[in-house]
Amino acid sequence: MIPLPFAQAAVPRGIGLAEWLVDVDTWLGRDGILSSGLDTVTLCAAVMGTGMLIAVPSAALLAHSRRGELTATALVTLGRAVPTFAVAALLVPVALRRGWGFEPWPIFIALLLLALPPLYLNTYTAIRHVEGGVVDAARAMGIGERTLLLRVELALALSVIFTGIRVAAVQVVATEPIRAFLGGDGLGRYVRDGLGQNNDTLIIGGALLIAALAATTSVAVSVVERLVVPHGVRRLKQRTAARRGSVG
Amino acid sequence: MIAPLQAQNPIIRWSWFIDEWDQVQAALVQHLELTLLALGLGLLLSAALATVALRYERGAPPITAGAAAFYTIPSVALFGLLVPYTGLSRATAVLPLAGYTLLILITAIIDGFRSVPAEVREAASGMGMSPRRRVLTVELPLALPYIITGIRIATVSTVGLVTVAAIIGQGGLGRLILDGLRRAFWTPMTIGASLSILLALMLDLAIYRLGAAATPWTRRRGA
Repeated sequence: MIPLPFAQAAVPRGIGLAEWLVDVDTWLGRDGILSSGLDTVTLCAAVMGTGMLIAVPSAALLAHSRRGELTATALVTLGRAVPTFAVAALLVPVALRRGWGFEPWPIFIALLLLALPPLYLNTYTAIRHVEGGVVDAARAMGIGERTLLLRVELALALSVIFTGIRVAAVQVVATEPIRAFLGGDGLGRYVRDGLGQNNDTLIIGGALLIAALAATTSVAVSVVERLVVPHGVRRLKQRTAARRGSVG
Repeated sequence: MIAPLQAQNPIIRWSWFIDEWDQVQAALVQHLELTLLALGLGLLLSAALATVALRYERGAPPITAGAAAFYTIPSVALFGLLVPYTGLSRATAVLPLAGYTLLILITAIIDGFRSVPAEVREAASGMGMSPRRRVLTVELPLALPYIITGIRIATVSTVGLVTVAAIIGQGGLGRLILDGLRRAFWTPMTIGASLSILLALMLDLAIYRLGAAATPWTRRRGA
């Protein structure tokens, strides 16, 4: 095995998975699961926040004015295909030269590229597919364009936008662990260290933690959606999501 | 951590590329092999599962939901989970990679066959075609554009994921990336990452061309 230049969690060999997971030291401290998990969650939250700030307003405005149809179609293909690891790797020397440090800029940008397509695409399709009659009725009632977009179109599209957020968030959380192989830490560190030390407990334990966080993310977004999206709009989801284009 | 001096290594040193071409070529070949193995296996499984889903209405939702759930399993986690059972072997890389193609391929195959108009199917049966012949000579060609689009997406995403398999000692070009990162010697890393992106684009183009050649009737309509 090639030696890793990064700090590694020292774990006694031959310790069982249950034993490792119930040990207080596993969870606390600088190399503990809580601190590593927080690293991961912070980065993913920053990526998702930036992604939503970029994708949702631009997609909403373009869909409202019925422009950029081609961009949306091109993104369908791109969404599943961003080679995060390669992109992040290419950015490492660039980040170092600019003095941004080894981490976390490369992985941040790579994850952002991963998050943007589903966010943009779902916002775009959802707003584009708001029923024409509703929009016409709103206009006839004398609502301004801005209010129309914010209070009618966005409100009706909210549920499908949340599907995009969930897809993006799960992909980001599921991909973030490669950060551990790019000079960072985060929740992926246990798999990395386990592989480096040939320690199955660490590999399996780390893998389970990552999978659990990805699953939790999906549930968490659904919970937020339930709190934010009105009941009536949620029922529209099945109909709109069934139409072509949106990821879900 | 990385010394500042090493950070100043050139992003690419062409002499390395020429001197170490054997290593680069081997990585490229392995990358291609892993991609094709995963795609082949994924396509076989998807064809079988999609057949079940198309045949029995009730089968479709659980099959697509299962594939979607699999798709959300983090790749690092899945490679890690398999290592204790299948070791640092090719199977450990290929099985998850094939699994990740299922969602894209099954959806594409189901969409493709569902796009065949009922009249066409009835006409084929009315002409006396057996169900098997109807599926193979009428429905499959009509479903092909959807399936080819699915294969293209699956291919590009698999080429990208193969690099991650480098963490379990497989991974073709991904090994060059990891190697470069570990030594803060950017040349192999840049070459590995660039070639993996290039490979994805080339395969995408190749499958697109093959697909266009296999479905000449789609060209006129401008679909």
